[in-house]
Amino acid sequence: MAGEQIVSFLKANPISVACGALALAVAVGIYVRADRVPDMENLLNQKASLGERIDANLKNGAQLPDQFAAISAARQQIESRLIRPDELAKNLQFFYKLESDTGTKLVDLRQNLIIGKAPPRIKTYYIGVGFTIAVRGDYTRLLDFVRRLESNQRFCRIMTATLGVAGSSDKDRGGDVTLNLSIELLGLP
Amino acid sequence: MLSLKKKTEAAAVSSEMAPWHPNLRNFARLPDTKVVRTTFFINGASVFIALALLLWFAFQEYKLHNLDKQIAEWDRQIDRDKKDSDKFVALYGRFKEEQARVDEVAWFLKSRPSVSLLLTHLAQTLPQDIALDSYEQQLQGLVLRGTVRGNPDEASGFASTYLDQLRGDKVLKTYFDEIAYSGSGVSRNPQTSRLSFQFFLRFKPAAKGGQK
Repeated sequence: MAGEQIVSFLKANPISVACGALALAVAVGIYVRADRVPDMENLLNQKASLGERIDANLKNGAQLPDQFAAISAARQQIESRLIRPDELAKNLQFFYKLESDTGTKLVDLRQNLIIGKAPPRIKTYYIGVGFTIAVRGDYTRLLDFVRRLESNQRFCRIMTATLGVAGSSDKDRGGDVTLNLSIELLGLP
Repeated sequence: MLSLKKKTEAAAVSSEMAPWHPNLRNFARLPDTKVVRTTFFINGASVFIALALLLWFAFQEYKLHNLDKQIAEWDRQIDRDKKDSDKFVALYGRFKEEQARVDEVAWFLKSRPSVSLLLTHLAQTLPQDIALDSYEQQLQGLVLRGTVRGNPDEASGFASTYLDQLRGDKVLKTYFDEIAYSGSGVSRNPQTSRLSFQFFLRFKPAAKGGQK
């Protein structure tokens, strides 16, 4: 009897029953598909972020090949001016050339040997090769010697420098002075 | 006036007095005399709810379709540009290494003050009555020793004036943060009877990021 009642109810209310069934089906569809929206939004954000990063890379990298070529050429030029610690004779030749060019006299010239040096705390590409130099001459020539040393083909930094007259009289001041230098030339490890 | 509401058989029986003659009306077959039937409202509400849900579902699907389309567009763009981007990223890594080498050389050259520049500047700004006896550049600073010409009473004034001059020197300020007497300060040289002085010019601390 209940079945008959249901059938008669369905027959009596076809529109509301059909709409109810449709609404139910659609509600299930909404429920099932509802989780996909936030997932898709997250995925879209990730893709957009990646895409924008890639786009920025392309924009920023437009000049990069040229800049890399320029800096690479500069590095090669720099490395052609570096010394090698094991080429002792060649390294000393640089100072003898300075001596002859400036008219000074090298009293002492030594390359400081690097023995068991501790590795640097941070990564370095080059090393400073130490030299101890004593050179004698008048003030002008010595100044020329130092100027050439600091602005010559080699990269040089003067760690310590002592320039002094032998005595304190006026006669002493007019004569030659001695310049003691402790320097570093940049070299390849 | 007749009621517009369709009476049910039970209501008709209960609401009225005991009929004085048999009620032969078939209520099921009697027409509904209401202006708007109840089923209209029920049907209307059902249609409205179904339509609303359908619209909601359609909007959700439209949104999903849009998202899908945008994701596909980004995927296409990423696939197209990723190769070039990876190439640039790798090149940038090599560029940074090259830059680090150049920076290291630049730092090496700037890490110590130029002796020739300091010597030249000191010589150019040296007062007439003062002669420098020694220039001693150390790791921490510079020791200057000199002699002052003239009587000791005048000479001590010249030494102080020279110290003030060095302190106010704009060029020296870029290298040194403190300039003061050191050692015996100002003293008379017994051999020449002239006044000697000694100054210490302390280097400014190295900039951060430098290597010692």
